[in-house]
Order: sequence, then structure tokens, then C-alpha cells
Amino acid sequence: MSRIGVFICHCGENISRTVDVERVAAEIGRHPGVAFSTDYKYMCSDPGQTLLKKAIQEQRLTHVVVAACSPRMHEKTFRKAVEVAGLNPFLCEMANIREHCSWVHEDREEATVKAIDIVGMMVERVKKNRVLAAITVPVTKRSLVIGGGIAGIQAALDIADCGHEVILVEREPSIGGHMAQLSETFPTLDCSQCIMTPKMVDVANHPKIKLYTYSEIELVEGYIGNFQVTIKKKARSVDEDKCTGCGVCMTKCPQKKIPNRFDQNIGMRSAIYVPFPQAVPNTPVIDRDNCTWFKSGKCGVCQKVCGPGAVDFEQQDRLVVEAVGAIVVATGFDLYSINEKPKGSAIKGYGEFGHGKIPDVIDGMTFERLASASGPTGGKILRPSDGKEPKQIVFIQCVGSRAREKGISYCSKVCCMYTAKHTMLYHHKVHDGQAYVFFMDARTPGKSYDEFWRRSIEEEEAVYIRGMVSRLYQKGDKIVVMGSDIAVGVQVEIEADMVVLATAIQPQKGADTLAQKLGISYDKYNFYSEAHAKLRPVECATAGIYLAGACQGPKDIPETVSQASAAAAKVMTLFSKDKLEREPVVARVREAGCVGCFACKKVCAYGAVEEKEIRDRQGNLVKIVAYVNPGVCAGCGTCQATCPSKCVELDGYTDEQIVAMIEAL
Amino acid sequence: MNNHAALDTSIYTAVTEAIRVEAQRILSEGQVTAVIGYAASRRKGSARPVIATDAVAADKLIFTAACVNNLAVYLTKAKKDIHKGGKIGIVVKGCDLKALIGLMGESQLKREDLYLIGVPCSGVLGSTMQPATELTTATIAPKCCECDVHQPTGCDFIPSVTVPSTPQLEGKYSAEIARLEALTPAERWSYWKEQFAKCIKCYACRQVCPFCFCEQCLCDRNKPQMVDSTPRPSGNTAWHIVRAMHLAGRCAGCAECERVCPMDIPLNLLNRKMAKELKELYDYESGLEVLEKGPLNSFAEKDDQSFIK
Repeated sequence: MSRIGVFICHCGENISRTVDVERVAAEIGRHPGVAFSTDYKYMCSDPGQTLLKKAIQEQRLTHVVVAACSPRMHEKTFRKAVEVAGLNPFLCEMANIREHCSWVHEDREEATVKAIDIVGMMVERVKKNRVLAAITVPVTKRSLVIGGGIAGIQAALDIADCGHEVILVEREPSIGGHMAQLSETFPTLDCSQCIMTPKMVDVANHPKIKLYTYSEIELVEGYIGNFQVTIKKKARSVDEDKCTGCGVCMTKCPQKKIPNRFDQNIGMRSAIYVPFPQAVPNTPVIDRDNCTWFKSGKCGVCQKVCGPGAVDFEQQDRLVVEAVGAIVVATGFDLYSINEKPKGSAIKGYGEFGHGKIPDVIDGMTFERLASASGPTGGKILRPSDGKEPKQIVFIQCVGSRAREKGISYCSKVCCMYTAKHTMLYHHKVHDGQAYVFFMDARTPGKSYDEFWRRSIEEEEAVYIRGMVSRLYQKGDKIVVMGSDIAVGVQVEIEADMVVLATAIQPQKGADTLAQKLGISYDKYNFYSEAHAKLRPVECATAGIYLAGACQGPKDIPETVSQASAAAAKVMTLFSKDKLEREPVVARVREAGCVGCFACKKVCAYGAVEEKEIRDRQGNLVKIVAYVNPGVCAGCGTCQATCPSKCVELDGYTDEQIVAMIEAL
Repeated sequence: MNNHAALDTSIYTAVTEAIRVEAQRILSEGQVTAVIGYAASRRKGSARPVIATDAVAADKLIFTAACVNNLAVYLTKAKKDIHKGGKIGIVVKGCDLKALIGLMGESQLKREDLYLIGVPCSGVLGSTMQPATELTTATIAPKCCECDVHQPTGCDFIPSVTVPSTPQLEGKYSAEIARLEALTPAERWSYWKEQFAKCIKCYACRQVCPFCFCEQCLCDRNKPQMVDSTPRPSGNTAWHIVRAMHLAGRCAGCAECERVCPMDIPLNLLNRKMAKELKELYDYESGLEVLEKGPLNSFAEKDDQSFIK
């Protein structure tokens, strides 16, 4: 016989204002199986919990119903209290008489009657609750980090420094990402290469980091603590073990006029190349689309000059499977281009800026390469069209960003700061030049950020014009910038030598495809979604997958590094235990009745349903039934709704319990 | 039966002969351990399902207009009667083949465990006809009037005869569905209430259905009792709705439920209505190919969502 205790909370006045809590306690006290019922002002407070624990022991209660707020709010609190008092925590249920009753009703009499019904239903449900033990699943203490930019590098180093193995996968031939392309970084103007390359070397030398560059994620299977990841190592055509990185192949390669994407296609590279001199690993890749050997079967110079014989034209793409327990996604960003977008795309181009057809209209990243000491111009700011130094330069902010009519409504967050930085770099390099900035408003929250922006105006002589540019066009060798100064209320026209656009930050191309492989959610722009905007900002809703950097939304370097370290901390929290504990509200199959139609397997969104063979003592196959892997099951109940013979049920939500609840009404 | 045209069943003799030869061959060569087919029964012209395990029994196999049963059911619930192990041969009409394809999609059968003997079929007799009746436009089963698989495909063996072209027959189900759809919901409900009220809960429809392969039907459970077990209106309605819903997207229209119903409840009418909905909503017809996921257990972005208000 159950001895159920019912505890009615006033929630200050939140519940008692509309619900007669004393009456609920009195009436539910007469419900069959209820041995004790009481009400209290704040059940979740320390005295409230003490009252509950005392009642469990004194009244020898077998089950508990707390009628209060939503279980999302305090289920954990009360289950913990119940456990302390010696009961199995899953014998405690919450009846929500706040969100589901007092908050949404005005009539006290009706609300009270409804509250009694709600509590009565939960009493019937809790009667049939089973004692459950937390589910434990083993944890593979290795982590996968996808993306070798600053976010991925930071996360990988933090996890590896903690002693756990890390698999770092990068799509490009070298790690470094966008940060390696930058010239100097705000707000301190330290050289990006100087602070980035040591970290890249640390990755290469770390005994706990296994680096896969020029590789992509092919397939992700498994679940938190137990993922199997298939990685495609694209054919590099150079044997990484043999190559010494001497670079002779690159100097001898006759194909030298290939635009280098790392230099925003301004600089040139050879067909066998490393994207930049500080690349990690310092192993070249043959660009098969542009290599004479691969196009015509002639040449082969690189192979002839390679001392260690590392060049291998026969190399094929290779698939590698790695077992990991956690995944950090750090795939970073891409820049919006003003080029014409394909028809039907939600994001539009900028016809008024010439759709990217004016050669001296460049984006911010191209400016970074021009300003970078290791860039194609050796750090001189020169026009791509004729190599002259621009004496009048116009920066335009919010190109693509905050432009709903162009399809992107968000703020790209970093552009105000990097444009301020660009004006400074320009002023340092072209002393007689003048920089103009068209801006909507300057968004510079952050430590030393606003001071930095003020400096660009007050000390570095940048002219900021509040207003947007309506049109750009080429006039001789000048670019005419037509805009408005809304502070003064006049139209402005500037004949510029060069225009730099602060184009919007977008997720990497293919971010959606990767998300589908990982089973994580993403927003309409393809930024990955965190589990909770405020309280779980680095976790994905899919357990065991974490986010770092701009793949989640626009971020600057300090923020990206912080998030990467936070993601690493989450991974380390997961790895701090040998077994993973999780809530046991999972589906179970009644094997005796299962006919193995696998309707449950077809509808399971989590891939939790497996096929299991039932054999007799002689080992003969009796039948094949469904099996729910408790480590993967998310407890959504779709299988239960689908099973035609009702042979799979969710603990705590069995058909018997649901029917009992309905009958209590 | 006047004013009704006789239907050409002349191919059935050749079909019978071909089935016998093929069944004897595969049994004697050991390709299969048994062949499920039809044999003559005691009453004149009648046929019954048999399981032939040797060449002698195979020589008794027949195919006539009285071979109404869907033998697929002998591979699911009734499979306990069949000797385990080895391939099994089965005689299938086009409509029965659709059920087998559905069962393969639901992991109940494997194609490689079966030897399919397809039957070119002009039609079989309606459920209320005497077995010796001549097949005419009046005596033919309603399902055969709307049949699109007189000539099955994808079998291991099909007798090389051509089904004579059948005259255009009146589609009884589509006409009845159109009639019911024209009614108001209240009128329609009263029609079905009347039909379900006739049910005596004999569950013959369940027993004969190849898709009712659950080991324990949820209607037989008592913890909790989902469906009232006595033949009263509420339990009857619950049962028939459960049956129709469980068959949605699966039933291929062999109409065995309707044939065996002692109370003449138009069960296949409900099944056809569900099939029509599936066709309209998802452009899906069951039993055409083995699918990993049907439309009702998968989600596609182009799915109709107009019902979400």
C-alpha cells in the first residue's frame, strides 16, 4: 500500500492568491493512497525542504508529490531532497499548479478545483512510478575538435594540456584560420602572426594532439561519451612523414601564377604550395586542379627535385575512424561578398556598389593582407588595380550586416573595431593620406574598446561620417562614393582611391551540411544554436557536442578564445568521470511482445533503437526485437506513440500511468 | 445474374498447370521446403489454402476464381504451421504480393527467404458468392473491379499467359467513398456508428489481416485496458478506429477483412479511404516497393503541413 505525501506550495502568493491551498491539501488528504498532505509558503526554501524530509521519515512515506511550480524549475531540487531523506528520487513527482493553474486563471473557486484535479492526477501517476537508478555510460576520454582556427587551437590546447588526447581536424592545408591572415589585432595592435604562430607550433608539438589537416568530417555516429567519427584525409600528394618542409618543390614549380586564397587572391602561389610560410604543418599540398602533372601528365619537377622522395602523385583520399567522447565544433566564419547572389537566395548582393566589379573596392580581410608585413605587398598599402598608394581611402561599415533588405539583420560585431584599427594602420603607413568612415553607429563595448575607437578619430585623424553610402562608381582611376551625412543633413561625395567594405560575418560554407552530420541545430543563417542563450551558451542541445567561436555567431578574438576555453572546460568536466550519469527517463522495450517491425527505429530521431537477437539456450535465433540504447535515448516518447503493439514504454510515462491519470479526472 | 457480362477466366487452366509444374520442380530440387498455395476443397468449385511439402501434394495445387484468400497471412501469424528453415514458395496474386512487399518493409519477411510464384489473375469471386459461380461483372469481388495488378511483376516465376483485357468495371469503393465524402460529418458519423454497432468483436478481420502481426494485440491487453473488450458501441468504435489507423499507409487492399466479416461491415472502405488520403497528401501507394520508411514514419520538409493551424 502506498503512503503518498503531498506537499502544496504557496509560492509566496503566486499560487495561494488564486488557489485555496489549504483546501487542496485537505481534499487531497482524502485521496486513496495519500497518507500525508500539507501546505507551506515556500516549499523550495530550506525550511520547506526540511519539512518534506522530516515528513518522509516520520510518516514513512513511499512516494512524494510536490504541488508547486513547473518541474523544469524545481524537479531536481525536490528529487534531491527526497533522496537525502532516503527515498528513490524518481518516486517524487511535481504537480504544476502555478504555470498550469494559478497564473492562468482568475476565478479562485474554479482554479482550486483544477488544482485538486492536477494534484490528484499526479498522485495516480506517482503510485505507478518505478524505482530507477541513474544510467551510466562509459566515456571515451578523447576529444574531437573541428576547425583549426584560433577557437579550435585554443580548445585543443586546453584539453590536451589537461592530459586528454585531442583529434584536431582542419579542412585547409594549414591550421591558423582567419586569425593567421590578420595583420594586427585590436585593441592593442599586437601582430596577429606573432601571437598566433607560437600557438600553432604548440599544437604541432603537443604529444596529446593528433592533427589532421586537409581533412574533413565524413560521418559522425554514436552519442555523448562514445562517438565514432569518420574523417576523410584528402590526398595531399606529399607524404607527410617523408617531407622535411625544405620548400625546394615550391621554388622549382613552374606554375607560379595561381591566386593564393590565403592572400585573398592578391598574392600568387605555386601549384605545390603551403598557404603561408608559417604554415603548420609545413608540408606542401599539390593543388591538383592547377598542377601540370595532373592536367597533362607532364612536368613532375617537384618529384624530381624532392630529396626525401616525399612527392607522391598516386596518393588517394583516405578514410580514418577515430573514437572520441566529446566534440568541439569551431568551424568559424566566412565573409559576405557583395557579388550578385544566385536567384532565390535569401541574401542579396550590392548592385549599388558594383557587385564586386570595381577592382579597388576591397573587403576588410583583403585590407588585412595588404597591411600585413607577410602579405603580398610586404605590408605596403597599394591598390590592387595599379599598385599605387591610395591617398584618399573610404571605409564603409555594415555592408551586409544590419541590412534587413539584403537578407541579414544581425550585427557582425567586430567591424566597428577592425575598421577603427584599419584607419590607424592606414594612418601609420600613409602619412599624407586621409581616411573616411561611413558608419551607422559605433558599437564598441568591451575592455579598452571605446578608447580605441576614440583614438582613431582623435589621434589618428580618421573622419567619421554618420550615414550610409548609396552608390559607388568608377570615374577614371577614382571611385566616387556618394553618401549622406545625417548628422549635418547633407549629401557627401568623396573621390576615393580605394574603398574598404566591412562586410558581414557569415558561417562557413557547408556549415549546414556539417550540422546535419553532427545532428546539431542551426539558425536561418546557418549559425549553430547553443542549448540555452544565457545559461548554456557553449553546449549544443545534442549532448556531448560543444561550440566555440564564430560558428555560433559573430565574435572577436578575445571572445572566441574565452568560449573555446569554456568549451574545453565543459569537455574536461565530462572527462572528469569514468562513467557518465544521466537521467534514467528512457524508453524500454517489452521484448516478449515485440514483433520486430522496427517502426520505433524508423521514427527515432536520436538513433537510439537497435536490433537485438533473442536466442534460446541452444543458441538458435528465436526472434529479433528492438532494443533502446539508454545512453542515446532522449526520452522523447515518439517510439511509444508509434509502437503498434504498445511494447515500448517510457519510464514515468507508461500507458498505465497516462490512463491512470485520465481516470483520476 | 442476367444483364451481366461473363468474365474471361480461360487462363486459369494454364495457370494451374504452370503452378503445379513449377511447384513440383522447386520442391523436388529442394529449392524450397514448402509451397503455400490453393487446392480444391470438398464443396464443388471451392478452394482452400494448402501447404504442399512434396511433389504429390504440389500436383493438387490449383488456381480458380474461388482462390480468394491472401496467403501472405501464412507467413506471419500463421507461420507457426509452416516447417521452419529453408525457403518457402508462395502462390501470390498481384494484390497479395503488395502485402508481401509491405511485410518486407516492416522487417517481417526477407525476399531471399521466399520463392514467389506470381499469378496472372482476371479476378476472384465476391465474398457472398457460391464457389462454383461463374465469374461475371456481378459476381466479381469489388476489390478486383479497381485492381491495377492483374499481372504481377518481380516474382521468381510467373506463368507465361496474358491476362485477357477485362471490361471497364464500376469502381464500387471509389463511388462509395465519394458518396460518403459528400455527406456532412454528422451524417457520416451516424453511418459508421451504425456499421460499427453491428460488430460482434469476433476479430476475424484481425486474424486474417497479414499486417496484424503483433504477438499481443493492444486490444487484448488489460494493463491498461485500451479498448473495451465486449461488443458494445464504445469498444467497437475504438477497435475499428485503431484497426483503420494502424493500417493507414500499410494496407494494400487485399480486402480479406471485409471478406471474412460475418456482419458485413465495409471494412475495406475505411482502408481505401485511408489509402486515398495517403495518395493525396504524400503521393504514396503502399505495396509498390520495399521502403525503409513510409510517409507516416518519416519527415520531409515538403510534407503537407496545412493541418497545423
